[in-house]
Amino acid sequence: MTDDVWVYALSTCPWCRKTKQWFTDSKIAFEYVDVDTLPVDEQDEVAEKAYKLSGGRRFPVVVINGEVIVGHSPDKFLEHLKGWGG
Amino acid sequence: MGSAERKDSLRYLYERVVGPLGYKFTPDAELADFLLEQEVKLEQDHGAPYCPCQGRTGVRADDRAIVCPCIPFHREHFDKMKRCWCGLFVHTDVTDPDSLPQFPPDEG
Repeated sequence: MTDDVWVYALSTCPWCRKTKQWFTDSKIAFEYVDVDTLPVDEQDEVAEKAYKLSGGRRFPVVVINGEVIVGHSPDKFLEHLKGWGG
Repeated sequence: MGSAERKDSLRYLYERVVGPLGYKFTPDAELADFLLEQEVKLEQDHGAPYCPCQGRTGVRADDRAIVCPCIPFHREHFDKMKRCWCGLFVHTDVTDPDSLPQFPPDEG
């Protein structure tokens, strides 16, 4: 079984870039969306989803195996990745 | 005013605003430069230098709370982290900004 990883990001946010880079460097497969570069009619819906998940408007919002982590926090990423196993 | 000039004027303005709050620009000059560039773009596209790492809702009263420098709106949270959310500003005693964790207000 592999980890299910989703990253909600902003293209203007360096911590979102660091988060995506961390998963890439760690060779962990992940999906991501830069909310601010989506077509305008999609942005609100996806942004609202990220806000609901995180309880705020801060990015990055990372969902690992259903667990939500707000902010660039490799230690927490590792905690939740271990939970699912590889 | 061109982007480069606007970036310099934001830097000049911010220094005078955040100092009395106990904050300074991050010692990571490359990060500061990148963030200021993003803010100039956000100002050009959306009318104000919004935080590059927080989302706008389009509701003016909400979005005002993420116009840089947004420290006063998030003071307790940022003081806990010793940095603002995007890391453009850190507490004046910070020398190693990379060591500062990023976590939401209900953690840490």
